[in-house]
Amino acid sequence: MIKKILIANRGEIAVRIIRACREMGIETVAVYSEADKEALHTKLADEAFCIGPAPSSESYLSMEQIISATIVSGADAIHPGFGFLSENSKFAEFCEQCGITFIGPTSQVIARLGNKQIARNTMEAAGVPVIPGSRDPIYDAADGARAAGKIGYPVIVKAALGGGGKGMRVARDPGEFEQSFRMAQKEAQMAFGDGTMYIEHFVENPRHIEFQILADTQGNVVHLGERDCSIQRNHQKLIEESPCPALSVKLRKKMGETAVRAAKAAGYMNAGTIEFLLEKNGKFYFMEMNTRIQVEHPVTEWVTGIDLIKEQIRIASGCPLSFGQKEIQLKGHAIECRINAENPQKGFRPSPGTVTGVYFPGGNGVRVDTAVYSGYTIPPYYDSMIAKLIVWGQDRQEAIRRMRSALGEVIIEGVDTNIDYQYDILNHPDYQAGNIDIGFISVE
Amino acid sequence: MKLDNVFKKTRQTEHNPKENTSGPGRPEVPEGLLRKCNKCGKAIITEDVERGYYICPKCGGYFRVPAYQRIEMLADEGSFVEWDAGLQSSNPMGYKGYEEKKRALREKTGLSEAVVTGEISIKGQRTVIGVCDGRFLMASMGEAVGEKITLAVERATREGLPVILFACSGGARMQEGIVSLMQMAKTSAALKRHSDAGLLYISVLTDPTTGGVTASFAMLGDVILAEPQALIGFAGPRVIEQTIRQKLPKGFQRAEFLLEHGFLDGIVERPKLRDTLYEILRLHEKSELQPEESPDPETAVPEKAQETKTAWDRVQISRRKDRPVGSDYIRELFGGFVELHGDRRFGDDPAIVGGIAWFHGRPVTVIAQEKGNDTKENIRRNFGMPGPEGYRKALRLMKQAEKFHRPVICLVDTPGAFCGIGAEERGQGEAIAENLYEMSALKVPILSVIIGEGGSGGALAMATSDEVWILENSVYSILSPEGFASILWKDSTRAKEASEVMKMTAEHLYEGNIVEKVFSEPDHLTVETLPYVTEPLEKEIGAFLARYEALSEEALLEHRYNRFRML
Repeated sequence: MIKKILIANRGEIAVRIIRACREMGIETVAVYSEADKEALHTKLADEAFCIGPAPSSESYLSMEQIISATIVSGADAIHPGFGFLSENSKFAEFCEQCGITFIGPTSQVIARLGNKQIARNTMEAAGVPVIPGSRDPIYDAADGARAAGKIGYPVIVKAALGGGGKGMRVARDPGEFEQSFRMAQKEAQMAFGDGTMYIEHFVENPRHIEFQILADTQGNVVHLGERDCSIQRNHQKLIEESPCPALSVKLRKKMGETAVRAAKAAGYMNAGTIEFLLEKNGKFYFMEMNTRIQVEHPVTEWVTGIDLIKEQIRIASGCPLSFGQKEIQLKGHAIECRINAENPQKGFRPSPGTVTGVYFPGGNGVRVDTAVYSGYTIPPYYDSMIAKLIVWGQDRQEAIRRMRSALGEVIIEGVDTNIDYQYDILNHPDYQAGNIDIGFISVE
Repeated sequence: MKLDNVFKKTRQTEHNPKENTSGPGRPEVPEGLLRKCNKCGKAIITEDVERGYYICPKCGGYFRVPAYQRIEMLADEGSFVEWDAGLQSSNPMGYKGYEEKKRALREKTGLSEAVVTGEISIKGQRTVIGVCDGRFLMASMGEAVGEKITLAVERATREGLPVILFACSGGARMQEGIVSLMQMAKTSAALKRHSDAGLLYISVLTDPTTGGVTASFAMLGDVILAEPQALIGFAGPRVIEQTIRQKLPKGFQRAEFLLEHGFLDGIVERPKLRDTLYEILRLHEKSELQPEESPDPETAVPEKAQETKTAWDRVQISRRKDRPVGSDYIRELFGGFVELHGDRRFGDDPAIVGGIAWFHGRPVTVIAQEKGNDTKENIRRNFGMPGPEGYRKALRLMKQAEKFHRPVICLVDTPGAFCGIGAEERGQGEAIAENLYEMSALKVPILSVIIGEGGSGGALAMATSDEVWILENSVYSILSPEGFASILWKDSTRAKEASEVMKMTAEHLYEGNIVEKVFSEPDHLTVETLPYVTEPLEKEIGAFLARYEALSEEALLEHRYNRFRML
């Protein structure tokens, strides 16, 4: 069994992990940058090591510093949290080479799932639906039109070197295709100096549905139901909930089984998440697998009653899962709101600074995961998420009401937050009706 | 709210924390996985270093590169053929423990001696290469190192190949005594023969290059490059400090210091070395040149300047701040310019820019007086007023051009050679005189174009050429009009008046047979309108090369001699 864990992260997730360790009687080692001397995780852990200057590249992303701190502290495992080095296969490999338990999958699995093409091929081979698309690069419109016909309209034309939405065009029918292709290619040529294109089926107004997976070292794999993370701004999730109001018991079973199959195909171990896009017609497609704990894991914890961080540590220690798929029942409804130090009126500009006063709600069915305290100074170097407010209700209706009530109680003075913005989303009739997709925010 | 020591800590009761820190199965970093950067002291992943040109990913500091890895970084895959691999030195002084020491090093490093030689190709360019390896007795030069380098250079001479040597050495090998000292002469002599055969030698100095190696093959390159921050010197810094009992300034004997002092052609970052070496090799490739198209006699007729401006107007125009400077012409007229620095004596004069470039598919040596095009650059380049270092650099590059049979094109733009104490101390007059003397007999065609001010001897030192051309609003004179007025009339404010009597404009110079061609200018010559001048200029340069390269060496020199003889 693991006896001492170094947490290679900061903020609320580091605090969350320290708490789980404390319950399990495991000693904790925090690492911190020079900007995080006064951070809660630094103060809360049994020991803390400074690993470098404020920029993450020189501290929380410095493999050498983190490994050195692990060796010096005598920790036998590293929990990477999310972000930073959590999905870095090289770091996981480094841990393996040093005999340090990396709490997560093996470096090989991380590398395989981190490569889009390999991941897609693995999933296709395992019968997991992927978004249909051209396999070979396409250079001219006529070839493109043939490929699009096979794939099925609507299609999206994408630049091979694409990014930031450049060199992308949707074509709804064969009549539109040629012009869309030419425009996308021209844009790609201008932006990246390369006109190599790919064509994919365009998934219209989908929901972002992800399934939580747990896999032990003995080969047991279960899923812990889904999370609906459709409320996103610029690909940043804002509100997550479980279960998804649009999933029937039958569809949940089908998607859950698919997720388990996907994890098995990848040779997965530890906690992970399979992300799907779900179309209105019930068709779903594999997007990617996240090989780490996720920000929104508390909603799953609440509806399943399973502590995911503790399970991660148990699995990493070699313990088999203590429950099977049948024993996992989703109970009630949980919602999480991410509270960010940012100003929605000023283009969501981050708002670091000193929190002069803070009050978080409590009471039945309310959970707050945060690393903020009164007098804490939010450094400007890292992510702007400062707290997660999670509520549970018997049903979605109760959960929404409880979240509104809880949000109304949050007081954070000294910095701007997105609390009012979150409140407005919860009050939106479409949200209340569960009528959401990933375009919700851009449309509203 | 302060959170110091307020939280309860976890303490495991069921185990002794001490057992956690040692014993089998405890995490540890395997040998060799991490290493420490000797520059910044940070722990770094060994693999990152080896994959990243042996440069510290944290601080950018350079590690020393083992010889075979260096060759791998430069050579086309599979092109390396090692020469004289097993060659080893004897123990000429019978120095105690020397054989054992070498044996141990051979086992540890897998090297037979401190230098690896052979042949490689770089993007298809064949070259002989020699790389010192500091792991073997600090790559000191004993009999074996000297012999391997000499053998490689001799073979290069026989086969007509260029040589690239990567120096890294503590100097001569003490354990082999006077025999080591002789290697300095031996390698230098071999390189002299290689040079006399008209072949190229590029020396690349890496950290550290000192002692007898610096004082022999390392400093004999036609082109001498160095890696950033490399320590290069004859006496080591510690020895100097002990001798003179002074603390040495920061950066002393580093590559940057040597560049500033004129001993390097350039400093090249390691990731760019392969490309840079390739460019230089290509510029020296022996190939049959396409002869330039024969000149159309019609185009050789100079355009007559329209007479509307006074001489003083032209003086003012020639000094305009926005008038294109030497580097603008280089950019416009030539391709792939490789700048070479330093006079190999004292300094690198920023007022003269020189190097090798492509013109119509053939290498030429280009030397320009450079004023710079903003105030900061003006100051750095001393407003285009060269010191003796500048003229000596120019001459060095002309001699190099002669060796490799490249024509020389000079762009003249100077108010005059710099007047200053240092310039006199180092022989400004001698430097100019030397240029006139050597240029008059340089065995390749020389063309000079006065693009702005042609100020006195400072201009002539780059214009003792086969032909001198001038732009419509450029001037060329015995002295600045201010100086002229001051000397003859004791009143420098009468410069305007002076300019009218000095016959310094293009038209007068053409009439006086001082220049052969005048190029007309647009209304306002700037970088934007430069093609107006450079397009005809390029055509004419092509014709010039065709005309003069067709001449025998004798005829060429006779023509140049007579050009000045008749004046």
